[in-house]
Amino acid sequence: MSAPENELTGHEYDGIEEYDNPLPGWWSALFALSAVFAVFYVVYVHLGEEGKDLHAEYDAEAAEVMEIRFGQLGTLTADRDTLLQYKDDEKWLVAGKAVFQTHCVSCHGKDGEGLVGVNLTDDHYKHITTIEDIVKVIEDGAAGGAMPAWKNRIPHVNQVVLTAAYVASLRGTHAAGGKAPEGKEIPAWDAPAEP
Amino acid sequence: MPSSTPLDKFSYDDDIVRKFALATLIWAAVATVAGLFVALLLVVPDLSFGTPYLTFGRLRPLHTNAAIFAFAGNAIFAAVYYSTQRLCKARMWSDTFSKLHFWGWQLIIVLAAITLPLGMTQGKEYAELIWPIDLLIAVVWLGFFGTNFFMTLKHRRERHMYVALWFYIATIVTVTILHVFNNLVVPFNLFEGYSIYAGVQDALMQWWYGHNAVAFFLTTPFLGLMYYFLPKAANRPVFSYKLSIIHFWSLVFIYIWAGPHHLHYTALPEWAMTLGMVFSLMLWMPSWGGMINGLLTLRGAWSKVAEEPVLKFFVVGITFYGMATFEGPMLSIKSVNGLSHYTDWTIAHVHAGALGWNGMMSFGMLYWLLPRIFQTKLYSKKMANWHFWLGTLGILAYIVPIYVAGLTQGLMWRAFDEAGNLAYPDFVETVQAIEPMWWARVFGGALFIAGIGLLAYNWLMTWKTRPSKYEEPVIEAAPLSKDYADGPAPTSEYQGHAVSDLGQRFDVWTQAHWHRIWERLPMKFTVMTVFAVLLASALELIPSFMIRSNVPTIDTVKPYTPLELAGRDIYVAEGCYNCHSQMIRPIFAETERYGEYSKPGEFIYDRPFQWGSRRIGPDLAREGGKQSHLWHLRHLRDPEATTQGSAMPQYPHLEQTKLNFAGIPDRVEAAAMLGAPYEAELLHAQDMARAQAKTIVAELVAQDGPDRIFFDPADAANEAAYDDPSKYIMLEETQAIALIAYLQRIGVDLHAAEEVGEEPSMVAENPADATPARTVGGAR
Repeated sequence: MSAPENELTGHEYDGIEEYDNPLPGWWSALFALSAVFAVFYVVYVHLGEEGKDLHAEYDAEAAEVMEIRFGQLGTLTADRDTLLQYKDDEKWLVAGKAVFQTHCVSCHGKDGEGLVGVNLTDDHYKHITTIEDIVKVIEDGAAGGAMPAWKNRIPHVNQVVLTAAYVASLRGTHAAGGKAPEGKEIPAWDAPAEP
Repeated sequence: MPSSTPLDKFSYDDDIVRKFALATLIWAAVATVAGLFVALLLVVPDLSFGTPYLTFGRLRPLHTNAAIFAFAGNAIFAAVYYSTQRLCKARMWSDTFSKLHFWGWQLIIVLAAITLPLGMTQGKEYAELIWPIDLLIAVVWLGFFGTNFFMTLKHRRERHMYVALWFYIATIVTVTILHVFNNLVVPFNLFEGYSIYAGVQDALMQWWYGHNAVAFFLTTPFLGLMYYFLPKAANRPVFSYKLSIIHFWSLVFIYIWAGPHHLHYTALPEWAMTLGMVFSLMLWMPSWGGMINGLLTLRGAWSKVAEEPVLKFFVVGITFYGMATFEGPMLSIKSVNGLSHYTDWTIAHVHAGALGWNGMMSFGMLYWLLPRIFQTKLYSKKMANWHFWLGTLGILAYIVPIYVAGLTQGLMWRAFDEAGNLAYPDFVETVQAIEPMWWARVFGGALFIAGIGLLAYNWLMTWKTRPSKYEEPVIEAAPLSKDYADGPAPTSEYQGHAVSDLGQRFDVWTQAHWHRIWERLPMKFTVMTVFAVLLASALELIPSFMIRSNVPTIDTVKPYTPLELAGRDIYVAEGCYNCHSQMIRPIFAETERYGEYSKPGEFIYDRPFQWGSRRIGPDLAREGGKQSHLWHLRHLRDPEATTQGSAMPQYPHLEQTKLNFAGIPDRVEAAAMLGAPYEAELLHAQDMARAQAKTIVAELVAQDGPDRIFFDPADAANEAAYDDPSKYIMLEETQAIALIAYLQRIGVDLHAAEEVGEEPSMVAENPADATPARTVGGAR
């Protein structure tokens, strides 16, 4: 630093003195820079073109992930044939499994063995007789809210279909520590519909 | 000035310093041991023994309040009372006020320590204390402390105020403003009241308060402390007077704006987040101004640092200050915050600040004070050195694992696997992953506490060698004369050069003569400080209150029912917000996990807001309707039963404690007074609450749940017990049902209309018109 360094101001308080040193140059520069950045940032995000806000970022991120997740799959329909097809499709069941792990395990257990909710790994069901019923129960719930309705919570139809398919795939796995069967035994998923 | 002016004779009141210093030590121990206990609760939830008084939700506020207001608070007071007298060459204005301040403050702390475990809380972080205690705080802080301080300034015998005093002034006035405005409530009984702000606005007020509590309770007074005790201990002049001026005023003005960085990605309007972010970035250098002035004051004294524990504490304290005030602005950058927020990263950050800066600065000051206030030699310098090393290592052993934990959890929450699905869909996985780090934290915290133990022992042994009667040296100093001429106004060294008039004036301005004048005018100085704080506050806060579009209304959002309102107050009382957020951010991993992101209009009846700041458990913003009543009942009783590996305490008392139905009308009335459009509720609150409780229990029974809880679970199988009302409590009478009523309501109003109507389900309408991306992105 330059010559006037370490000149005392002449102030003295209870023995404490002060130097009259200038502000460090780098300090002033960074302070000024942070203020300049602030102006540019505000203009860039809020006064420039649209699409810089957090919600636009969110939409872009959502689209990107959904493209990775379902880009090759298209949009599924929640019908019997689709469900029967995908319940054995290891590749796509992972999407259903992810939803199951996120939302369903707290009641149905990690492997579907049943906790507060029913065991999904035996052949007994309470509100389901055909594979399409699984979609209905997921969407609208059942048993007076014992099974909550998920239709506003799972945003994409493919997730609903693949979750239902995943649940269907759990049948007969008889997970360890499973809850006792509830409801009645129903025909195999691919059994022809009863007249 | 005639030299014949008779000198005043007076002495300093060091007795009050001894009192505050001892209180600092005691509360340091209490606050850190409470911290250790809550840290243990996270890894061993059963340590709460099923009692409501020892749960994390109730004790975490006790830990934070004790650390901030008891430990740091008393340290501040010790510093202020010791240094102000000497910097003013005046005894404190009133010994009585000093004592009222001391005992009043300790009373507040004791009241806090009683009320918080009892579940009496306002549910706003660091502003938990209930309104009667808040009133007491205002009286003790401003009435006793403030009055005593400012009257001492008025009667000072030192013409100019030293920089430490500037920081004390800023502390006293700003903390008053923050405390009063954030704690405005409409009381509805002796202990409870509803915040006059709701939802988004309450959040903005709270973090205006919360962030500036960090600024004006944990930063400015400690800078004042540093400016006095560091040059004293090092016996070196302060590095730069000009830097003191610039960094003081920039801190005071800029800090106020930074609060909204605690609310990034929330339902706060984005312009407010932006202000919070850019002002936080601008805070970096003003904060470092303090660090530079501290560390560079030690130039030429580094050999002393090596042998003097006091200076070691100060150097590490200031270094942690520099680290934390670099990290703070970095965390305020939206995208960084998107990763760090709600994780342990924040916890590591604040402990670097609290243990590193506030803790080490306090200890340094105490070791410097001990021989002086007890008028003897420090018992053991070696032990002080040991404390220094235990403290420093303890802090590192605490924060490093917690940084790792925060980063781990933040990354796990947002991770998608290669197929585009959540990589860690089950929340509890992300808790279990960081449990080893929580254990490491317990070890680090224990080291830090061991250091405090050494201080306590050293203290005791030093105190034992005190003189039988303390000397009270008589000081002589001239009173300030009425007539005082400031030195000649400086001229620009560019005078006569080819420099514009404006340039010359700027040159004169930078010589700070104007500020020198302010320094001898405490009243003007205080007014300018208040002006800076109020101006910044007004610019930040008022737009969100005045501009309607900041919180667009949602027609389907209705006020809580009387039972839900009572349930919500239980949620608040139990301190659920200490572990659960209620704010789904517009981050895709988050909406996948929790549901549609939160909208500002959803919170207009939330007093206080409960967005939280940490997710030790999952977000609850869309908890309503997500689980069955039965699940909630079992989960509250024993979280492990439904969620293996859960860190949540058990709440069996909720299903065994009667809800105070008679108190519900007061709650409804207070909410109505604040704008909730109640009608029948105002007349029939109790009946409506009972009816809803009955309905919920009926649904619970339909879900195979019980309608009553036997105090002895074995009685459930005993038919005769059903006829003996002393053996059970009907669930519809209990707090658990009120809480479940509230939990089932959270976040459902957004789609309320759709559920009432006979609209076709999403699956049916989807295939026809929605592409995958639009379905999701269009959720807004």
